[in-house]
Amino acid sequence: MASQPSTQSRSTGPTALRNRSTVARARTVLERLRNALLYSSTYLALVAAAEVALVMIVLSLPVNLSPLVVGLVTFAVYVNDRLADLETDAAVAPNRTAFVRRHQRVLYVAGALAYGVAVAVAVTGGPLAFGLTLLPGAFWVLYALDYFAALGSRVRRLKEVLIVNSAVVALAWSVTIVGMPMAFTNAPVTPTAGVLFGYLFLATFVNAEIPNVPDVESDASAGVATLPVVVGVRRTRQSLYGVALLTLGLLAYAFLQGFLSTAATLALAVGIGCLLGTVAFLGRSDAERRLALSAELSRVPALGVLVFITLGI
Amino acid sequence: MIPLTVLKAALICTVAIGMTGGLIAWRERPTPGSVPLAVLLAGQCWWSVTLLFRIDATGIAAKAFWVDVSWVGIAVIPVAWLFFSLEYSGHHEYVQSRYVAVASIVPLCIAVIGATNVAHDLMYVGSTLVDINGVTMLERTPGPWFWIAAGYTYLLGLLGTIPLLELITSDVLAFRAQSVALIVGLVVPWLTNALYLLDALPTYGVDPTPIGFAVSGVAYLGALTRFRLFGTNPAPIRYARRLAFDRMEEGAIVLDSNGYVVELNDRAAAFLRADPNDVLGRAFPDAFPQVAAVVDEPEPTDRMVLREDDGTRAYDVSECSIVDRTGRTIGRSITLHDVSDHLRRQRRLTVLNRVFRHNVRTTTQLILGHAEEIDDDGRVADRIAGHALEIEELSEKVRRAIDLFDRDRTDRRPLSLDSILRDGIASARDARPDVTVDYDGVPSDVYVDGLLTVVFEDLLENAAEHNVDPDPHIRIDVEIETDDDAVRVVVADNGPGIDDEELAVLEEGTETPLRHGSGLGLSLITWGVDIVGGRVEFADADPTGTVVTVHVPIRPRPS
Repeated sequence: MASQPSTQSRSTGPTALRNRSTVARARTVLERLRNALLYSSTYLALVAAAEVALVMIVLSLPVNLSPLVVGLVTFAVYVNDRLADLETDAAVAPNRTAFVRRHQRVLYVAGALAYGVAVAVAVTGGPLAFGLTLLPGAFWVLYALDYFAALGSRVRRLKEVLIVNSAVVALAWSVTIVGMPMAFTNAPVTPTAGVLFGYLFLATFVNAEIPNVPDVESDASAGVATLPVVVGVRRTRQSLYGVALLTLGLLAYAFLQGFLSTAATLALAVGIGCLLGTVAFLGRSDAERRLALSAELSRVPALGVLVFITLGI
Repeated sequence: MIPLTVLKAALICTVAIGMTGGLIAWRERPTPGSVPLAVLLAGQCWWSVTLLFRIDATGIAAKAFWVDVSWVGIAVIPVAWLFFSLEYSGHHEYVQSRYVAVASIVPLCIAVIGATNVAHDLMYVGSTLVDINGVTMLERTPGPWFWIAAGYTYLLGLLGTIPLLELITSDVLAFRAQSVALIVGLVVPWLTNALYLLDALPTYGVDPTPIGFAVSGVAYLGALTRFRLFGTNPAPIRYARRLAFDRMEEGAIVLDSNGYVVELNDRAAAFLRADPNDVLGRAFPDAFPQVAAVVDEPEPTDRMVLREDDGTRAYDVSECSIVDRTGRTIGRSITLHDVSDHLRRQRRLTVLNRVFRHNVRTTTQLILGHAEEIDDDGRVADRIAGHALEIEELSEKVRRAIDLFDRDRTDRRPLSLDSILRDGIASARDARPDVTVDYDGVPSDVYVDGLLTVVFEDLLENAAEHNVDPDPHIRIDVEIETDDDAVRVVVADNGPGIDDEELAVLEEGTETPLRHGSGLGLSLITWGVDIVGGRVEFADADPTGTVVTVHVPIRPRPS
């Protein structure tokens, strides 16, 4: 009996073995690539760059380096956030934490390099672009460090204050994503830009609250006041429906006022549609991590639709 | 003239490198030097950024604005450099908030005066736009504060170099490589700045010093990774050497080349009950007459021992010369090693040896003699004699153990392994005359530690004595491991084997009142092999018995 496996492998021959190992190796490489993309938050950088591209198309801005800058900054900020929250994330995202812990030195250097390059490239966009590039870094410091507590003031970590936590994230990203391409091109502030800012602020707010649903227990024990902790999962879902519908209302108003073209309105509505679909599953699906990912990716179809319509037209 | 695009590209690279390097340095907190380096690179980044904005700005006011605000970054650099250098090289006594504050007064003035120049013209007295190769650039006439800023910056830069030059002469090569990288990082920007001030650089009137800092950034990053700038940090060396000297177990006295006491550590002061303030600076024979008598007039033995008058403490004294790089003797170091406890244990062992060698044996013989006089058909008398013999055997083992420890501290001569094994076989035959021993012999030039006599005597005697087989048999195999310069002796018997509990206690090396071995025999073997730097393994033989494998180093044949 003991000799059976070796007999089998002889009969299938070395070619079969080689093929199998090639497939296995390819699968391993793909898995590693997927882990690196997902756990290092590289995908979030790509999403942010796509959102900047969306803004550029909607505002008809000339091609510039702002998507690169925003992508690099996003990568740097998220890498730093993952590294800072290594201890608290271990319970809720064990695989990601293990990946980050294993590669923390490389990730930090990659994050530092990304931010360094982003700042340098932003300088070519002028003082405003440079200032905007420094903004997420400053927000990150406010968001993740305990400076307020260290100062002995009664201001708690922003991360632990209800709604403010998600609003801070939403504000930083919407300002950066709308402002960066405008700063690079010295574009004037128009109502359309204001609508885009409002759209991204509300959508990012919804995004930021969605991962709080699976984190409800760990957040509650850590004393972090998120919507699901304070009002429960059902009420959270209803509130997020409300915010998403408010965003749709904003789009409708902008369209009626002529601030947005039909193509842009449709594309942005598709993004909110995706987000609503994700919110509908909140508290009703076991794949909560996938819901968070789906919310983060919800503006990508909007860009796809816009590019498709623009090219089609 | 350098093309403007090249100049701008270089400045952009400067920003990227400076920002990345600064963040990496920031990550290394609280490693000495990390925070000042991060601040230095941040200042350099700001300078580069303002230069880029100045080049791109249109109009004299906009260009002048960026020059003015650039002073915020420029002012930070020399202070950060100085404290980086002090912290990194371990001069922590100077890295205190008040010193940082004092060193920052002038830079603060520079930053404020520079940024508000438009109101007072103290930094620049005049500004004009000039056309250089078709590019409109700003030309400014330096004011008094410009030269104050330049002078102060150069002064701090120079002060910061001094601790690093100390490191360059350090004995630790890795740090020397780091220091070279750091000096490159220092020299390049200062040299660039000096050339700019002398109007020797074709850069459209733009100060390219931050580009020099890009080179610094690369040097620092190289030092960060390749030379492990913060991975192996020299900051503790100065303290560690002092700490090791003060806290070492030995007392140490340092004499200069003229025989004066120039240093002694806490332990030496305690040993010799001396107040350092009294003895430092005095001649050695005057400060420590007893020690000087031992050192300067040694007895004709290898060891110098200083005994206190009351006989409670004794010290091994050793002396070594201190030489400088040229090989010249510049002093002596005298060390005192407290051997009082060692000598006390030695005396106790001698007493125990006498007790077991003579007193127990004599008393046992008396018991045996009296037992023979008891007339009860031998029933009680035989039991008394049997127990008396057990006591004698135990005393013999204890005596061997004492012998083992005694030999450990005395000079151990190498002996021929063959003769050791043959003595062991003779002991085994004494203990059990019917035992069969298979032994093919060992080349007579294989020598091992003489202490192993006790080990193999005990091992072979145990193998024979406790063998309950009607046909007791011992096999000895010897294998010389030339690669390791060691020899392996395997002793196999067909006895009852060794109890697992007994082996577990031996492997753990410690005993408790509840878990202990049955006697001394196996412990003697493991202690002895351990003392000579070998190892011993016990295994079960098939079908019964024990296989004991002893690995011991081969010693050179005595001359």
